[in-house]
Amino acid sequence: MVRRGLILFFLAAFLTIPSLAAAHTPLFACFDNADGTIYCEGGFSDGSTAAGIPIIVTDGAGEVIKTLELSRNSDVEFDKPEGEYSVLFAGGEGHEILIPGSQIFE
Amino acid sequence: MKRGLLLAGLLTLFLSAPALAHFQMLYTPESALNQGGAMNLKLVFTHPFDGDHIMDMEPVQEFYVVHQRGEEGEPQQFDLKEYLSEITWKGLDDAEGKAFDANLPARVVRSMGDYVFVLVPTPYYEKADEGYIQQFTKMVVNVGGMPGNWNEPLGLPAEIVPMNKPYANWTGGVFTGVVMSNGEPVPNIEVEVEYLNVDVDMAANAFVGEPKIEAPHPAFETMSVMANDKGEFTIGLPKAGWWGIAVPDVVELEHDGKEMVQEAVLWIQVTDIP
Repeated sequence: MVRRGLILFFLAAFLTIPSLAAAHTPLFACFDNADGTIYCEGGFSDGSTAAGIPIIVTDGAGEVIKTLELSRNSDVEFDKPEGEYSVLFAGGEGHEILIPGSQIFE
Repeated sequence: MKRGLLLAGLLTLFLSAPALAHFQMLYTPESALNQGGAMNLKLVFTHPFDGDHIMDMEPVQEFYVVHQRGEEGEPQQFDLKEYLSEITWKGLDDAEGKAFDANLPARVVRSMGDYVFVLVPTPYYEKADEGYIQQFTKMVVNVGGMPGNWNEPLGLPAEIVPMNKPYANWTGGVFTGVVMSNGEPVPNIEVEVEYLNVDVDMAANAFVGEPKIEAPHPAFETMSVMANDKGEFTIGLPKAGWWGIAVPDVVELEHDGKEMVQEAVLWIQVTDIP
């Protein structure tokens, strides 16, 4: 009886977990506000919030310039760094998106 | 005898004429965008299956977008009338009619999320019916794949509320919607479906080329399906492109001393599996 219950449990877990993971793709976009600031917004493909997700800004050498987090509206604004830079949406393993500054436009 | 034959001939012509349906178009080439940016829309009142009979539009009553980023985001409404300019649209029959062009700057459609565009045209006087038609028209664009308010009713007098994302439909799939009036389902009402059967030349403001498919019978031009007792309907999507869904006669009222019907229109886009 216990064995049957365990089999059913693992079967249910096997069927459920991959679909949950697949339905939760991170999304991240950044824009140059053309006033010396950068605006970034994040979220997930199922519409869920990204509030509190760390946003890490690094320079061309990969050194961290600043660490921020997405607001309750899942967005953040910061001063545009001088020179090369990148912005990382640090949503955890499998949920990271890196945008180079060269791909951030108005 | 001759007169009788003539009348019979005219009657035959009348009976075999295609069932032409008026559709208010709210068109943009692509509704599922990977990135936001400047956007051009065309507002044309026509018969989309034939790509002809362009009816003159008057300056619109309302044109706005409701944007929402994420399911927990707040919907934000932006008036878009300032971006409209009058144009002349040419149909496949070379006949022309007054239409509108909307040139939206990048800041309007920049963020990720859903953009529900709403057009409320000035009522159109249909001489044949001696009455007015007003089609509350919706078209939904998504930026970046983040969903928002695509399935939220807006409380319009006549409205189709999608139950599938209108911008994410594979060829061969189905689409389900709910007919609503002021936020309440409208049961057992007829729904009309028409394929945009012509190419759109955005620069020339014209329908161009040859019709993509030939209907074997008028009933295939404007197809009909009945909504159930909850106002829900489902249609198949056999071909890639834009499909217009219209619900005639949702509300009947009076306008300028004549009868007026308020109708709902929703445009959905269908994409081939690569």
